[in-house]
Amino acid sequence: MSDVKLTGIAKSYGGSPVLTDITVDFPSGSFTSLLGPSGSGKTTLLRIIAGFITPEAGQVTIGGEDVTRIPVWARNIGMVFQSYALFPHMNVRDNVAFGLGRRGVKGAEAKRRVDEALEMVRLPGFAERLPKQLSGGQQQRVAMARAIVTGPKVLLLDEPLSALDRRLRQEMQVELLSLQREIGVTTIFVTHDQEEALTLSDQVAILDRGRIVQMGAPAAIYERPATRFAAEFLGDANFFAGLVEGGAITVAAHRISAPGLPEGREVTLAVRPEKISLDATHENQVRAKVLNAIYAGANLTYLMEGPGGQRLKVFAQNSDGVILPNGAEVTLSWPAAHTILVEG
Amino acid sequence: MKAFGRVYLCLLIFFLYLPIGVMIAMGFNASPYYQLPFEFSTRWWHELWQNAELLEAGKNSVIVAIIVTLIATPVGTAAAVALHRREFPGRNFLRVMLLPPIAIPWLITGTAMLVMFYWSGIGRGFHAMLIGHVALAIPYVVLVVSTGLQTIRQDLEEAAMSLGATPLFAFFRVTLPLLTPSIIGAALFAFAVSLDQFVISYFLATPGYTTLPVKIYSAIRKGFTPDINIISTVLLLASMALVLIYFIFSKFGAKDVRR
Amino acid sequence: MSAGPATTAPALNMGGRRLPPWVATTALLLPAYGWLMIAIFLPLGAMFLFSFMTATPIGTKEIGYTFDQYKIFFTQPYMWQVASWTFQIAFATTLICAVTGFLAALALARSGLGRSQWVFLILILLPFWTNGLVRIFSWTMVIREGGFLDAVVQFILPEAASVGFLYSRPAIVLGLVHGYLPYMVLTCYIAISTIDDAIVEAAESLGARWWTILGRILIPMAAPGLIAGSVLIFVPVVGAFMEPRILGGPQGVTLGTVIEDSFTQGFNWPQGAALSFMLLAVVLAIFATFSGVLRRNAEL
Repeated sequence: MSDVKLTGIAKSYGGSPVLTDITVDFPSGSFTSLLGPSGSGKTTLLRIIAGFITPEAGQVTIGGEDVTRIPVWARNIGMVFQSYALFPHMNVRDNVAFGLGRRGVKGAEAKRRVDEALEMVRLPGFAERLPKQLSGGQQQRVAMARAIVTGPKVLLLDEPLSALDRRLRQEMQVELLSLQREIGVTTIFVTHDQEEALTLSDQVAILDRGRIVQMGAPAAIYERPATRFAAEFLGDANFFAGLVEGGAITVAAHRISAPGLPEGREVTLAVRPEKISLDATHENQVRAKVLNAIYAGANLTYLMEGPGGQRLKVFAQNSDGVILPNGAEVTLSWPAAHTILVEG
Repeated sequence: MKAFGRVYLCLLIFFLYLPIGVMIAMGFNASPYYQLPFEFSTRWWHELWQNAELLEAGKNSVIVAIIVTLIATPVGTAAAVALHRREFPGRNFLRVMLLPPIAIPWLITGTAMLVMFYWSGIGRGFHAMLIGHVALAIPYVVLVVSTGLQTIRQDLEEAAMSLGATPLFAFFRVTLPLLTPSIIGAALFAFAVSLDQFVISYFLATPGYTTLPVKIYSAIRKGFTPDINIISTVLLLASMALVLIYFIFSKFGAKDVRR
Repeated sequence: MSAGPATTAPALNMGGRRLPPWVATTALLLPAYGWLMIAIFLPLGAMFLFSFMTATPIGTKEIGYTFDQYKIFFTQPYMWQVASWTFQIAFATTLICAVTGFLAALALARSGLGRSQWVFLILILLPFWTNGLVRIFSWTMVIREGGFLDAVVQFILPEAASVGFLYSRPAIVLGLVHGYLPYMVLTCYIAISTIDDAIVEAAESLGARWWTILGRILIPMAAPGLIAGSVLIFVPVVGAFMEPRILGGPQGVTLGTVIEDSFTQGFNWPQGAALSFMLLAVVLAIFATFSGVLRRNAEL
């Protein structure tokens, strides 16, 4: 078991920075998601950890050993690629045994470990097939088996589930998680799917334009996003901006308060759509007009026009079968405790 | 409209193959002056085997083509791998530099080689032809192998490296086996380019050393007999066979990688 | 943490002795580009130098440098005539190839041939990969006086005079069209086959008839293929010498044959070099003009 530490990593292409001063700790045995939109640098970061890219500045250590200058083939990592990258001219056994062979494990010992790994990904009996004879989900499992069979110090996953359809993806998420728990390998997972990041990870790192804007446990990030970007990228959010006077801001004659507001400063507050109720039970209250109701069976999404013509999004449970008509005027309210102060 | 299209295509194919068919037939016509009506004879087939000069030129052509293939294939493959799999400044410039041997009329390249080789003391003949043919074949090899490389995902080599393979091992164990059909295709191409090459050979040939196309050309200009038709037929069928083998190979190769 | 794949981690660190990447890149590229340098680019440079010499440097002859070789079009007005013939032949060949080749590509792509498209395409392309010299030679069997064409005509009309036209400029054009037509079919076919059927169907649904579809959709969209094909035919044709020699006979004087003669007969290499370079300038100008279209076409 090894932890992975990045210190002050920087990388640029053609003068424009892709990663700036990245310092992160991936504890031993943890499952971390790198979450961000395309172009945020998450894949570059993963490839730096793998050793495909040498950073311009900073240090990568795996299990306490500085590997910054060590090439990828000597780092003892396991990696699963977006396309799986199974060798099309080798059967499943040869694919899985490839890394063992590079480490001098041959013959009966190699066979035993390949079979064991295929057992773990629930593909026993597929050893003699060629990759093109397997389904997408099965190829994905072979790629997993190939990456873990050598007992790597760290497992790197580059959007490995994005090629699968929704149902299979959810199934594979569960399997991936239980497999990771079973072998306990430090895992770093790149994704742009926020739901996937929340379900799988011990911790999530949100990247934006080459910087880690927030890192923490999924619930902590969701409930307390530090920046407007984090609030929007992970889940939905409504924003209010204003000057803090007397512990609250004023938006078109409505006062909105939140814990710990700095007096006399311009601030941005965020509220999750599901924290808002369609009545006046909480302390922060605004009047709003229904623009559109989107019906989705178990729940409803209202698009509303709030104070000052601001657009608001509200999630409601479909508990009483009532759908507010377009144009209806309602009072919305939410607790001050769920109003989050975010950076611009 | 659709029927018209088919008729048109058939007429076009007739036009393309008509002279070839006539030429082949004339090789089996008894008259030495190509007189009609047609009278079947294998006389010129037998004459050909008496024509030592023509046979010698044919042997030279095949030997040159084999050596050209053996040189141009690895050299061109290496360049294709570098152009496709490695980042370095000036890559696009080097890609463009492959075009002159293909695009500039061979008359210009051929006379330029004549001037340079004569002047520098390299001279003409077998070795000069070899230098010229390999230079013409290299761009074709690079293009064919590059097309093959494009169908092989780069992350396969990366996967191999993540599993502990050095770049060299990853190339030989992963990329090269997948590239084999393309390399065979490129080799066939190089062989055909050299075997059919006339212009360059013409300027680099010496009275004592010629290849088949050069010999055919001088025969046509000096007055000829139907044994020229026979050897031309052989040359024609040889290159057609090469191209057909190439088509079959490239098709199999593509299928294998895509699925 | 149960029986996971065992946790061996043998020493893989091979120490710091790695060559910088440019060494491998250079090693891969050097043979190919070194070869091209020696066999293509240095010769072109040498020929450029030659084109300024007063005479072929043989033996102990005194060699001077001059621009005179480039003045041939003024010292020998006959050369204008030769250039004019050359370009007439090249334009005629390109035009005929463009029309017949475009129609062939259209017929290939849009005649509902299905899988047999490939058979037709290979049949059309196959002669292109055979020896050009042999194919030109084969035409002499057909169009000479008393050749195959005459035999066919006289079979139908026993009293007809000979229609053989070997040793004429039309014969040269015929041979060149035969030689280069497959190029045009291929480039046009690639361009046309990328046109979505739905575009043509959309035009039909809007009431367009076939001539509108041809003129407003197919030809404009296939234009890159037509241009690429035309360049790829025009360039080698202006430099042709073997075809005019064999099919044109005494009529077949072109820039190509004049260059050939100055190297093989007249032994006036500086003159041939200067002509070659003027021809090369024309070729490069054509490529420069159409480089955008050609590049886009290559990406298809």
